[in-house]
Amino acid sequence: MKNLFKTAAQVVFFIILAEVSDVIVAKLYLPVSGSVVGIMLLFGLLQIKAIRMEWIELGSKWLLAEMLLFFIPAAVGITKYKSLILHSGMVIFITIFCSTILVMVLAGILGERMVRGRREEAQ
Amino acid sequence: MIQSLGWLVFTVGIYWASKQLYRFFPKVYLTPLLVAPVVVILSMSISGATFDQYDEGAGWLTKLVEPATIALAITLYRHMDILKKNAWAIAVSVTAGAVLAIVTSAALAIGFGLDPSVMESLAPRSATTPIAISISGSMGGVPTITAVATLITGLIGLMAGPLIVKWCSIKSPVARGILFGTSAHSAGISKALEYDMVTGSVASIAMMVTAFVTLLAAPWLVGVLSSLA
Repeated sequence: MKNLFKTAAQVVFFIILAEVSDVIVAKLYLPVSGSVVGIMLLFGLLQIKAIRMEWIELGSKWLLAEMLLFFIPAAVGITKYKSLILHSGMVIFITIFCSTILVMVLAGILGERMVRGRREEAQ
Repeated sequence: MIQSLGWLVFTVGIYWASKQLYRFFPKVYLTPLLVAPVVVILSMSISGATFDQYDEGAGWLTKLVEPATIALAITLYRHMDILKKNAWAIAVSVTAGAVLAIVTSAALAIGFGLDPSVMESLAPRSATTPIAISISGSMGGVPTITAVATLITGLIGLMAGPLIVKWCSIKSPVARGILFGTSAHSAGISKALEYDMVTGSVASIAMMVTAFVTLLAAPWLVGVLSSLA
């Protein structure tokens, strides 16, 4: 029960941080999203030890574990684009599918090679 | 009011149930991000609810995407040494992947004869949704198409990623993180976190680098490709 309250309070902290980041982006006309600013902000606060890991750990664990839940309304939102999907949905899907697979193969293999290369160099 | 609240509770319930299902049958096509929306969409069409009615209540969940993304700062902070040690590998592989995403999306769209505005909407789809949408808008794309394309990208990354990891025998957590974060933004990160925290933190860095590279390179690459076509 105590942990439940702690988790909820910490999640509220993350929500406030997100709001603050959005305000910063809007006021400074930054070309990045609020989440990127928020990550940097929190990282900085952790770095200068203004915030301790223990204060926000439970909340962050919950948010990360349930991340897929937060994407469900957006996924349901696909129903808004019925005509586009009916019209050129298949071609768009094939484009995205092929491109995504190629990106995964390239980024994954290149990353694996470079990480391995660095490790062998160190030995 | 009660109806929209009902959709919120229903979505959480279906999510919970699909998560249990996935726990017992961990098949790629049973991911909660596919099963739950399908069940919700079916229920909506049976009850005759519109998306706006649904989103009035369930849309509160969307507001938690940003706080959850910010929570990734903790995994970054904790794994800073690994990120620093692999900074070069991450920078090169992610940049290459992000550029390939733009080039192949635009080239395939042109090849299939899609409308230029659709091509411009698809080009930035590898970046995280809000950034992809703003890049698309600035290039002349349609932000709503980009939103859908980004979402489909996430789903494909989430489902096909583990297979690519297996088939290409990507063994290092750093390379796995690069693969998921570059190709499938936050949806990829959620999958990466299923492997371990290192994979998750590399994936979050990869997502951020992808966003920056796409922001800088997409308008230029799309311009070059459309002048070639």
